[in-house]
Amino acid sequence: MNSKVVLVTGAGGVGKTTVAAALAVQTAAAGRRTLVVTVDPAKRLADALGIKTRGGQPSPHPRDPNLWVATLDAATSWQAIARRYADPVVAERLVANEFFVAATTRFPASQSYAAAEEATNFIDARAWELVVVDTPPSAGGIEFFTAPAAMADLVGGRLLRWLTGGPLPGRRFLFDRTARPALRAADSILGSHLLERVAEFLMDLRTTYDGVARRARQIEAHLRRAQSIVITTADPAPVAEAVRFFRALPAVAAAPAAVVFNRSLPSSWINARPGRVSPALAENLARWAAEARRQAEVRAEFAARYRTRLIVVPWQLKPPTDLEALAALELNGLAG
Amino acid sequence: MAHSLVVVSGKGGVGKSAVTAALALRAQREGRKVLVMAMAGGEGLAAHLSLTRLDYQPFEVRPGLFATAIDRSKALTEYLHVQLGVPAVAAFGPLARAFDALASAAPAVREVVTMGKVLWEVRRGAWDSVIVDAPPTGQIGSYLRAAGTIAELVPAGRVRDQATWMEQIIADRDHTRLVVVTLAEELPMNETMETLAWMRQERLFPEILVNRILPPLPLPAGAKIPTGPAGEAALLHRALADEQEVWLKLTPTAVRLPYLFGLVTPAEVAAQLSEVAL
Repeated sequence: MNSKVVLVTGAGGVGKTTVAAALAVQTAAAGRRTLVVTVDPAKRLADALGIKTRGGQPSPHPRDPNLWVATLDAATSWQAIARRYADPVVAERLVANEFFVAATTRFPASQSYAAAEEATNFIDARAWELVVVDTPPSAGGIEFFTAPAAMADLVGGRLLRWLTGGPLPGRRFLFDRTARPALRAADSILGSHLLERVAEFLMDLRTTYDGVARRARQIEAHLRRAQSIVITTADPAPVAEAVRFFRALPAVAAAPAAVVFNRSLPSSWINARPGRVSPALAENLARWAAEARRQAEVRAEFAARYRTRLIVVPWQLKPPTDLEALAALELNGLAG
Repeated sequence: MAHSLVVVSGKGGVGKSAVTAALALRAQREGRKVLVMAMAGGEGLAAHLSLTRLDYQPFEVRPGLFATAIDRSKALTEYLHVQLGVPAVAAFGPLARAFDALASAAPAVREVVTMGKVLWEVRRGAWDSVIVDAPPTGQIGSYLRAAGTIAELVPAGRVRDQATWMEQIIADRDHTRLVVVTLAEELPMNETMETLAWMRQERLFPEILVNRILPPLPLPAGAKIPTGPAGEAALLHRALADEQEVWLKLTPTAVRLPYLFGLVTPAEVAAQLSEVAL
């Protein structure tokens, strides 16, 4: 079966993983085979989803055979990627290399790329009706969508050409220090041979280029077909992130299908009279009513500016951290 | 004693940039000459200062308060030229490109350049306070440890000499104040505890600021919660406050910052926070 793919994006701390999990739980409960891919779930949410170890293959939830769960671990994903695309000797040299560890954990696009690559593997398996991907937190917002190209660029030797100043060299005549004063200067600043070690690493990495570049194009095709939804709260910082996402996404993929305002307060509080209650409760209502008014204003402005589907998810008395609470979270039409 | 360097970190979404802006506004009001710097991006910090963006060139937000965002390639050129004494021509040319390439692949180079820019602003003595909106706690380690990593990877050379000096300044508690902003919620608190653990091993002792703490809602024991909005708001308030109490037990001595109700703009948030004891 072809999987429908939903990418769940948004700033950190807005409940992205919770909404992704609730969407998957509710779709599975309706009888559709669903996979949710998460990156770094909180302990209690991981427990609710039946997650015992990070990384590895999707497994069915003990209490709902339609609900499948997989978590991503960027470090193990990268080792898998190296082994998939490099020949065995080079792959082992790569995963043991200090620069490999640094580049794959810290290159801005690398966690996003690892997540996108794993998600693509699951989509290609065609084993689920719906695949929900909880995207890694990122400052750039659309990084998840641009990561494949950035990654192909990194392994493609652009940096290597800069380092060596020309066409890709053979291993033996890597640097000609006598001919390149900049390299002599770099040596004196960095200590000798650091650049050389980096270049050796980049040459090993380059052997994965054909595989990674081909895969990057497939991943991009999947991402362009996927539906993305943006999760936010009404707080200024996550809203700014959502705005950046709505502005930037149309250049690289389909515009977001919906924005979800999580932790929303009832609009009925805005002009409510406290009634005959204690002064403490009346004062408490007044400050929450101010908060509810602010939230409503933010939502209305967002909806007017981006003409998108607006989904309002109420603030829960308790964070939904068990299967029942996830099943009961009101997603107001997002599921199904 | 007022610190000459304040580094503010925290998990994404906890209000790190708001607190940074508040600290800067407060220092300015106290009559200090302040440079507030965003180490990456800077959109968040800009909004909290009522600006649309920050540039590499410091901008005077109000008298005595200057704001800037670190641009890595500009910082790199400056680092090579001003700090390492490389002639400008080489700094702008192939050497800068080689460094830029290196910064994408090699551990700590990017971090040393960024931290180097921060510490250079501290050292050159033009400011009473340099206040930094640092990367989130997930990444701050590689910045604070950058100097040490460089010292291990690079056996000799001018970068290594710089790194040693940087390590000393960061660890000097009279000079440098480290602040970790967090929320009384599961994920931010867990990340804060992990951050504290490794920082202790590095002999770094940050202050913890717990943001968005709800005020107490005094209700007599056994008080009946009425139906209707006032009762609903009381129930929500109490449930959220109880959850916060659970997580606050992990950091009993942390400074608590109030939840700010009904504020619309990031600038309002920063202005209100700057009135609180920070």
